[in-house]
Amino acid sequence: MSGWRAVPLLSRALAGALGLLLLAAPAVAAPPGKPKPAGTVAGLPVDNALALGERMYRLGLLPSGEPMSSVVNGDVPVAGTAFSCSSCHLRAGLGSWEGGIVTLPTNGARLAIPRYWKFPNLSPEERRELKLQNPAARPAYTDETLAHLLRTGRDPSGYDMHSVMPRYDLSDPDMALLINYLRNLSVRPSPGVVGDTLRFATVIAPGVSEEDQQAMLVPLNNYVARHNQFSAGFGNRMYLGVGGNEMSGAYRKLALSVWRLSGPPETWPAQLDAFLAKEPAFALLGGIAPGEWKPIHDFCERAKLPCLFPITDLPAVSDTDWYTQYFSKGYYQEGQAAARYLHGLDDPNPTRKVLQLVQDSPEGKALAQGFRETWAELGRAAVPETLLPEGKPLALAALEELLAREKPSTVLLWTGSSAFPALAALTQGATGAFLSARLLGGQLTNLPEPVRSQVWITYPYREPKLEAKYSLYADTLLGGLKQRNPETRISTRTYALVQILRQALMDMDRHFYRDNLLDRIGMQRDQILPDYLRLSFGPGQRYASKGCFIMQVGPGPSPSLLRKSEWVIH
Amino acid sequence: MRRNPWATLLTTASLWLSGSGFLAAQAPPPYSRTLETYTVPEVVLVNQDGAKVKLKTLLDSGEPVILDFIFGTCTTICPVLSAGYANLQTKLAATPSKVHLVSVSIDPENDTPKVMRDYLKRYRAKPGWDFLTGRREDIDKVMNAFNAYIPNKMSHYPLTLIRDPKTGKWIRIYGMMSSSEFVAECRKAGIL
Ligand code: HEC
Repeated sequence: MSGWRAVPLLSRALAGALGLLLLAAPAVAAPPGKPKPAGTVAGLPVDNALALGERMYRLGLLPSGEPMSSVVNGDVPVAGTAFSCSSCHLRAGLGSWEGGIVTLPTNGARLAIPRYWKFPNLSPEERRELKLQNPAARPAYTDETLAHLLRTGRDPSGYDMHSVMPRYDLSDPDMALLINYLRNLSVRPSPGVVGDTLRFATVIAPGVSEEDQQAMLVPLNNYVARHNQFSAGFGNRMYLGVGGNEMSGAYRKLALSVWRLSGPPETWPAQLDAFLAKEPAFALLGGIAPGEWKPIHDFCERAKLPCLFPITDLPAVSDTDWYTQYFSKGYYQEGQAAARYLHGLDDPNPTRKVLQLVQDSPEGKALAQGFRETWAELGRAAVPETLLPEGKPLALAALEELLAREKPSTVLLWTGSSAFPALAALTQGATGAFLSARLLGGQLTNLPEPVRSQVWITYPYREPKLEAKYSLYADTLLGGLKQRNPETRISTRTYALVQILRQALMDMDRHFYRDNLLDRIGMQRDQILPDYLRLSFGPGQRYASKGCFIMQVGPGPSPSLLRKSEWVIH
Repeated sequence: MRRNPWATLLTTASLWLSGSGFLAAQAPPPYSRTLETYTVPEVVLVNQDGAKVKLKTLLDSGEPVILDFIFGTCTTICPVLSAGYANLQTKLAATPSKVHLVSVSIDPENDTPKVMRDYLKRYRAKPGWDFLTGRREDIDKVMNAFNAYIPNKMSHYPLTLIRDPKTGKWIRIYGMMSSSEFVAECRKAGIL
C-alpha cells in the first residue's frame, strides 16, 4: 500500500525536477485532463498544433514531415511510416484487443483519470456511486508522466508497458504537440448523446417509393422500439457484469429521426446541415436514395458524421474517406469482379480483346469504372468504351456491326434488359458477354435462351438457392409490414445493419465518440447475414462485402442460376 | 515493499537528461518455441504482384524460409511482427544469407495484391519478402496445415515459423521476439 502511495509523490517530484526541460513548451505544464484553453501550444496556434498532433497520431509523421522513430520489442527500430498510434489505439483512441494483447485507451478522458485493474472504465464518481473500491493501478497522467511513458514505456505507478507499445524518441516540442492532441482526443461525448438518449437519424432522398421507404423504416423503428422497451427498468445498470465486462452506464435509449430531403441533389447539403443543426445526431443509420450516394457521403465527411450502411448501390468509392460504412461498392464492385474473373482466366501473355458498352447512367458508368480501374490495377491495357445514350436500347444491327468490325473476345454490356433483343448477334460468333445482375434486376431470368451459354452475369449476392435460410431471420423485425419484397433487399439489408449496430453499441461501451463507433465496427468479426456471402471488417475498411460470383442462367422458362466461379475477390 | 521514490527519481531523471532522453524498451515477454513437422498443402496463392505462387514449391525449395500470418489492416500484432521482418531484412542485407520471408494473409477478402503492395511499401520491404493471399478455402488449408487456424481474424495471435533447411522441420515461435532473439533463432535454425 505504501508503495502505491509513494507514486503521486514521485510524479510530483519528477514534474518539479523536469520543469526546467519543459519551460520551452509552457502549454505542456497545464493541469492534467483539461482540454487546453485557447492560446498556443509549443508556440503554435491551437488549430495548427492540433493538426500537427493529429498527423503524428494518425500518420506517424513529425511536424518536420520526417517519420517518427520508435523501438518495439526491446530493440526493433520502427519508422512512423510503418505504423502509427492509431494503428493500435485506433482513431478515437479507445484501443483494441487482439490475440490476448490489450491496447489500452489513450484518449483525453481516460488519461485524465486513474486506471483500475478491475472495471477500468468507471470514473471515480461512478465508482463511488456503485461502491466499487479497487486499488488503483495507476494515477491520472500529468503531461510529465505521459511524456515519460511515451519515451520509456513506464507508467507513473512504475509498471512497464508490454514491449509492443513502442518507445518513442521525441523532442520536447514534438512531445508537447502529441500530448496536446491526446488531451483533446475523445474527451467529450460527441453530439447526439443527449441525456439518457442516443439520437440517430436516417435520410430519405426524393423519388423513393413509399413501399421502399417502409421496407427500411419499419425494421429500424421496430428495432429502436424493442431496444427501448426491453431495456426499460434496467436503466443505468443494464450492462453491469455482462460477460465479465463492466458496462454500467453504457445503456442509452435510442431515438431515430427521419430526415426527408427534397429537390435536386445540389440542394441536399444545405438541407442536411439544417437538419443536423436542429436535431444533432450521433450517426446516420441506413438511409435510402435512388441515385448516387455521393452528396450525402460528402456531407458526412464534412460534418464528421458516421453513416452506417446506407441502402445504395451507388456509393462513393474511396480508399481514404472515413465516415460512411457501406455494405459493398455496389455496381462498381460488379465491374471489378468481371475484371478479376477475366484476368484470372488469362495466361501471362493474354490476347483477350475486351470492349465495354456502357449505358449512359450512373449505374452503367459505375460498372465501367469498376472494370476499368481494376483492369489497370491488374496491369492490363485499357479497353475501348462506347457510351450508349440512355433510353435508346442497343440495336441488334449495331451490335452485329460492332462484333463483325472489332471481333472482341468479350463484350461487357453494362445495360439493362432493353439490350436482350440485340444479344442475338452473339450467336453468330464466339464472343462472350458480361451483364450485371443488379442492372437486369427481375429480368435476369428472362435472358433469351439461345444466348445463355454465351452470357456471364456478375452477381453480388449469395447463391439464391441458399439465401432463404439467411434471410428468414430478417422477418423478425418486420412486424407491421405486410410482406417483404425480396428483390429490393431493403428490409434484409436493414436487418443486417441492425445486427451490426447492436454489436457496435455494446462494444462502444460508454465511450460515445463518433469515431469510436466506426472503430468498433472495424474490430467486428466477419458476419454471415442476409444477401451478401460474407461481411468483413477492419480498421478503415469501408466496404464490408468484397466479392461477387460469376453466374450463368440455366435452361428453361424459370431457370436457376448456375455458379461459374468461386467468390471472386482477387 | 516500500520503494524509495527519490532513488527512482534520480535514476530516471539522470537517464532522461542524458543523451536523447530515450530509453531502450524492455524485451518482450518470453516466447515459446517448439519443433514441428508440417505438410505444406498443395495450394496456389497470389503474391503482391498478382503472380500465382505454388506454396509448396516456395516453402519446400530447400532455401531458408520464414513464415508468418498477418493482414493489411490488423492492429497491434501484425505491425509488430512486420517490424520484426523489416528489421531482419536490414540485418540480413549485410550477410550472404538469402532468407525468404513469407507473410500469408488471413484476411483474403480485403488483402488484394494492391493492398499487400502498399503494406510492404510501408514497411520498406526489400525483395525477398512476399505477402500472399488467395481463396479463403486455400488460406484456411494453410492455417490448418500449420496448426494456426483461427475462425475470426480478430483473435489472431503472434506466430513465426522458421524452416530448418537441413531437416525440413519447422521451429514454431509463439509470441514476440526482439531483434537479437530473432537473429539468434535464425542462427539456431542454421539459416544465418
Ligand atoms: C504496435 C501497437 C502500438 C502502437 C503503435 C502504439 N501503442 Fe500505445 N500501447 C499499446 C499497448 C499494447 C499498450 C498497453 C500495454 C500494456 O498494457 O502493457 C499501450 C499503452 C499505451 C498508453 C498507456 C495507457 C495507460 O492507461 O497507461 C498510452 C498513453 C499509449 N499507449 C499511447 C500511445 C501513443 C501516443 C502512441 C503513438 C505515438 C502509441 N501509444 C502507439 C500499443 C501500441
